[in-house]
Amino acid sequence: MGRIVLDGITKSFGATQVIHGIDLEIEEGELAVFVGPSGCGKSTLLRLIAGLDRPTSGRIEINGRDVTRASAADRGLAMVFQSYALYPHMTVRQNLSFGLENTRMPKPEIAERIDEAGRMLEIGELMERRPTQLSGGQRQRVAIGRAIVRNPTAFLLDEPLSNLDAELRGTMRAELARLHARLATTMVYVTHDQVEAMTLADKIVVLRGGRIEQVDTPLGLYNRPQNLFVAGFIGAPNMNFFRVRATGGQAELPGGLSLAVPGEGEVTVGIRPQGLHLATGDGPALEVVIRLVEALGAETVVHADAADGTPVVTVLSGQPSLAAGQPIRLAFDADAVHFFGADGMRLEA
Amino acid sequence: MTRIGEFLFRRRGHGGRWHWTDIATWTWLILGTVLMFGPALWLVGSSFKGPAQLAEFPPTILPYVQEVTEVEGYDKPLPLYTATLEDGTTRTLAEIRRIGTNSQMVDPANPGEKINVNIANRSPLREIGLATGNYVEPLVANNFVLFLWNSVFVTTMATLITLLTNSMAAFALSKYRFRGRDAVMLLIVATLMVPLSVILVPLYSVVNATGLLNSLWGVILPTVATPTGVFLLRQYMLTIPDELLEAARMDHASEWQIYWRIVLPLAAPALAVLAIFSVVWRWNDFLWPLIVLSKRELYTLQVGLNTYAGELNVQWHYILAMTVVTMIPVVIVFVFLQRFITTGIAGAGIK
Repeated sequence: MGRIVLDGITKSFGATQVIHGIDLEIEEGELAVFVGPSGCGKSTLLRLIAGLDRPTSGRIEINGRDVTRASAADRGLAMVFQSYALYPHMTVRQNLSFGLENTRMPKPEIAERIDEAGRMLEIGELMERRPTQLSGGQRQRVAIGRAIVRNPTAFLLDEPLSNLDAELRGTMRAELARLHARLATTMVYVTHDQVEAMTLADKIVVLRGGRIEQVDTPLGLYNRPQNLFVAGFIGAPNMNFFRVRATGGQAELPGGLSLAVPGEGEVTVGIRPQGLHLATGDGPALEVVIRLVEALGAETVVHADAADGTPVVTVLSGQPSLAAGQPIRLAFDADAVHFFGADGMRLEA
Repeated sequence: MTRIGEFLFRRRGHGGRWHWTDIATWTWLILGTVLMFGPALWLVGSSFKGPAQLAEFPPTILPYVQEVTEVEGYDKPLPLYTATLEDGTTRTLAEIRRIGTNSQMVDPANPGEKINVNIANRSPLREIGLATGNYVEPLVANNFVLFLWNSVFVTTMATLITLLTNSMAAFALSKYRFRGRDAVMLLIVATLMVPLSVILVPLYSVVNATGLLNSLWGVILPTVATPTGVFLLRQYMLTIPDELLEAARMDHASEWQIYWRIVLPLAAPALAVLAIFSVVWRWNDFLWPLIVLSKRELYTLQVGLNTYAGELNVQWHYILAMTVVTMIPVVIVFVFLQRFITTGIAGAGIK
């Protein structure tokens, strides 16, 4: 139950094409996260799966059944909207029961399901209130509850945490993870927040401009980004990029540090800020000048400039005594370096 | 109480002095109050006056009736007058009958003696009193209760159908995308520019052809589709988030259920405004019911009122009294629902 397959999905609004041929498989019980910058088509893709919009071409299958032309209600999915979309004129109980009443479910069963969802989400005592009388977190729970009572084949969640404050977002994120572990139902989750993506996902789908950039596990994305976009998008702070020219398998980083490169010509060298550390001794190192020091306590984020002006960010553990204007030498391990060709695709070392 | 008084009589001038703006404000407000309430007060006051008093000049605000008294030896109560006698004394006498310019009078205390007085020398003795017959007679004898029922029926049915059809049109025009939607909306709003008098004749033909002449439905049906209502409701429904409808669609709701269980309850404030408008419009309608209804038992109040204005004789006392009756529901609607009216008008941006 809950296997979703997208096959060559495209979507145009008038003359503008927003989805350019998406092929994707979401396995049963998987929590797949669509992540990408705003306007990348991730919400549109979710709406296509939900059946709220129809794809211009392509097929959508749920559990092997072609649902491309099926209505939203007939797909057996439940959706949690960004604005929660709770019916403001109904009590929480009515909000939860509305969908079940529409399927002509017997009343005792409706009550049973609502009670169960109320217990699971700890909203039992809010049942007679209206959505306007609830806090943001409570509304979020009710919205999830409305999806759960339907007992759907898959949950679709459209930026469900973006309206919450930072602290609540953290709590709800953990709760969602727990919920997924408990229900073991397929979930498709849309977010622009990579922390949510990294912490929740079994599988992350990185989208840009209506195309899939990479599909992988969170750590797979982090460790082996397939292209420059994914490399820059996943991980905070962003990866440092150096544009270099490789000749004979060798290239020079700004400042003269020489490096073995698996390619020729224009190559981009990427090193994560966490991959750089202060060089000890006189070994080969990247020489930079500090522009700004952000001491966070447990770690220190150093913004610096390389010899040719390329900005370099590094995250150093602890509280090293550094000041703006000070030149430092940074070293890195060979396996922390990513290489990308002139076309932006990953070059295997 | 003192605080309320303090608030009401607060002045800009300090230490009890009058600033010129105080005088201007008070004058303006009093003038405005008289202008606004004067006619209404006169109407209510005059509706209790008899026909003779209505014809009097100068007019009075309060209704008066002539005092009468029982005099021994006479079957009916006799009207009382203040009479100046030939010897110059003034006495209160009851009039038995009038003969030419002479009035035969009697002292109620001394019923045996008859006194002749010139009518120029007597003036009626009056007290404030209500000519309630103005109300009772039309309501009881002249079918006004039936007219009232007709008006209530027309207003209620027209308002209900108006709310239903206009909200359905507004729902489609605000929540569905279809080819020509804006053109349809424009067309509907454009009919605002066409006054009833222009389409009176074709409308009459249509109503006649459908056999609705002399039927209350002939009054109701042509009026139920109002561009104002569609526009007002559509503007309001545009503010209902589409996500709610999509959530309902995911919740297996049919399009009818979305309309009936989601959109309509959420559009309640706009519906209330339209209901108020519709009640006032239909209640005050005169021209169209006058044309459609020619049987007396089908008259609405407004048409019924017209029957008192004959070619030779206008029965002002009945007209005034029944005008008060027709005003009551509208006034009640305004008093209790004015909060909705103001917010609704402000929200829809129309009047």
